[in-house]
Amino acid sequence: MVAYLVRRLFGAVVVLAGVTVAVFLILHLSGDPALIMLPPEASKQDIVNFDHEYGFDRPVLVQFGDFAWHAVRGDFGNSIRHGDPAMGLALERLPATAELAFSALLLAVLVAIPAGVIASVKRETTVDYVVRAISLVGQAAPVYWLGIMFILIFGVSLGWLPIAGMGGISHLILPMVTLGAFTTAKLMRITRSGMLDVMRSDYVRTALAKGLSSLNVTVRHTLRNAILPIVTVIGLELGTLLSGAVITETIFSWPGIGRLAVQAIYDRDYPVVEAVVVLTAAIFVGLNLIVDLTYAVFDPRVTYK
Amino acid sequence: MRRRVLTFLLAIMFIGGVSLGAVRLATAQSNDVLTISQGADTDTLSPLTTAVTPSSNVFNQIFDGLCAHDPNGKLVPALATSWKQISATKWQFNLRHGVKFSNGDPFTSADVKFTVEKVQDPAFKSQKADRVSMIAQVLTPNPYTVIYVTKKPSALMPGRPYDLRIVDAKYWQAHGDAYEVDHPMGTGPYMLKEWKKDDHLTMVANPNYWGGNVAIKTIVWRPIPESASRVAALQTGETDIITNVPPQNADQVANGKLTKLGTAKSDRVLFIAFNTQKPGIQDNVAFRQAINYAVNVPAIVKTVLGGHGFPLRNGPLPPNFVGYDPKLPSYHYDPEKAKDLLKQAGVNGPLNVVLNSPSGRYNMDKEVAQAVAGQLQVVGINATVQTQEWTNYVGQVSHKALTPMYELGWGNDTFDADGTLTPLFTTDYPISTWGTPETDKEIADARYELDPKKRAADYAKIQETIFQQAPWLFLFEYEDLYGINKRVAWQPRSDELIVCKDISWAK
Repeated sequence: MVAYLVRRLFGAVVVLAGVTVAVFLILHLSGDPALIMLPPEASKQDIVNFDHEYGFDRPVLVQFGDFAWHAVRGDFGNSIRHGDPAMGLALERLPATAELAFSALLLAVLVAIPAGVIASVKRETTVDYVVRAISLVGQAAPVYWLGIMFILIFGVSLGWLPIAGMGGISHLILPMVTLGAFTTAKLMRITRSGMLDVMRSDYVRTALAKGLSSLNVTVRHTLRNAILPIVTVIGLELGTLLSGAVITETIFSWPGIGRLAVQAIYDRDYPVVEAVVVLTAAIFVGLNLIVDLTYAVFDPRVTYK
Repeated sequence: MRRRVLTFLLAIMFIGGVSLGAVRLATAQSNDVLTISQGADTDTLSPLTTAVTPSSNVFNQIFDGLCAHDPNGKLVPALATSWKQISATKWQFNLRHGVKFSNGDPFTSADVKFTVEKVQDPAFKSQKADRVSMIAQVLTPNPYTVIYVTKKPSALMPGRPYDLRIVDAKYWQAHGDAYEVDHPMGTGPYMLKEWKKDDHLTMVANPNYWGGNVAIKTIVWRPIPESASRVAALQTGETDIITNVPPQNADQVANGKLTKLGTAKSDRVLFIAFNTQKPGIQDNVAFRQAINYAVNVPAIVKTVLGGHGFPLRNGPLPPNFVGYDPKLPSYHYDPEKAKDLLKQAGVNGPLNVVLNSPSGRYNMDKEVAQAVAGQLQVVGINATVQTQEWTNYVGQVSHKALTPMYELGWGNDTFDADGTLTPLFTTDYPISTWGTPETDKEIADARYELDPKKRAADYAKIQETIFQQAPWLFLFEYEDLYGINKRVAWQPRSDELIVCKDISWAK
């Protein structure tokens, strides 16, 4: 177990180093921050001065060495636009993103797993058709369309819910449902099909044959065995949700990390983009590891060497 | 298990319902709070680093300049009560007595000197550095007199004193640069109360403001990036003022139960420049004039912008600018004349050209380009519109790489001809793609001309040349659209600035 953990952590470091190199190179190939940051009436001399002050006139390798040397110590430099430390700006936005991500995922789990289970048990009935239709629509509807529809219906027409910014549960509902819709739909589908697979297996038939109640078999045998792919999907979805739901955060003016990233990309604010990407990569790698470790909890056959 | 889930769901619905009620109540009670929603949050509350409008709109409420622009672009006193040019290179400002920063520090000439020198300091990396680059030295003969010494004799007041907001030197020196980003200390009508970045920023009236009481005691800035959401938030009453209403939503806002439309003629002009510094048909004057006659600008304003724009066909300067010549002739829609000019330019068959346009930078930017391309077809020019996202586009503009034609907007909040002509019509400027040695010299001379009459005559001559040479397809000035809750009394301004002390509750 310990050896496994050490190996995985070493792998995580390699992944993060790779991400850092990639994001640095891509950003530095993508355009000159001076042209975005300086006022349009800036002269050639102003642009030269700006590049010199920020060190953009040095060879790319030297810039990378400098960046990497500071990055390993968690220092991504100051945001060009805000003047604050870049990693601080990213970490500041993380709680808002986490609140939205976890609530969306909670909603998805609470709705999707029971619905998926019921649909699989009541296969080819009206309930199943409804669940399948919802999961199809949920995965097919673009987030921005769904978000704007919710705003128009529940915000503008009915006046039930606020539509912009954070503050209290009422502010959370619309972005949570919007963001959770896709994950809910995906999870419903995975749960239903996973359950159907397991239901056909011998041990389920045996369990039923020996007279266990249907509920008991469904929850303790079928669901328990169908849960591994579901856990995997939940883990990956959480990673996606935590890396910033750019569209949802933009539509609902949610002050999260996705909005920070988009704005920083538009501004060519290198330090902030680098900090956000490395931070979200770290979250992804960490969650992946946690998901792998939880397999052992759900499936005693899984051991780590 | 099932029962537990049910209980949980009921609990959630109950909590949701209660908090909903609370929100409705809060909205109904917030009669002394004005909420303003722009597309972006401010980057910083330090007024010396950034120059972008959404940020200036926020920190300008906390800080004052030496003078200010009134809604018509006229300079009026602020922290300085009067100013005059005392020699070819010296401008003297007499400062207002008895002004205090909101922490009680007195405002003196030392604060002005500190502010200018801070912005000039290369280590501070201010985006406003070019705005004070004309100033060689700041003299402070006494606490209430400031003299800017310019590097060259100049008729332009140095340092854009309406734009440069004066900071508390003592406070700044005590805390350092980084602290200012979140802890502003100014003399302005409002003070910062709370800032949760990208969510909301609350400011309250400064009880010691030198300009007297303000009508609105609390202002909340709540950025809403998505324009459809911004309009929706105005309709629900969650916000009171929104910027950049999309033209297609203008009627909806104008006719809303809670809302009204606010408009202001913008100082931003939209044009299509010809890149005469690259080889091609656009080097030919007759061709450029032909394009100007081939496009029906009033029709584009009417159909694409819903009428929210003002055709500007005689040159690059809006009529309210210093240096604008009202006697200039104007281009008009005349496709036959355009065809004749094209023949003169040697274009005898259909001609294929590229028309570059940014996408999403200016209101309806690519739609305007498409409309222009459609009209060019009538005179035998097949223009292909190529759009790009702004950050790539602006990089190519600054490298003079877009050719033969590219769309661009220009907002010039100095209201002076120089702020348009120098960057856009002198040969060597990064974003200029036209220029002749004669006009370069004329523009540079006019910039430093001290006699106003001579200066006006110089600009009239330059505009005449620009009109005749047609380095742009002259299009229009924008009209800025704002959504305003009916409970608010406010007239938007042409410089895109929101001056909160001028806002009040409707009677």
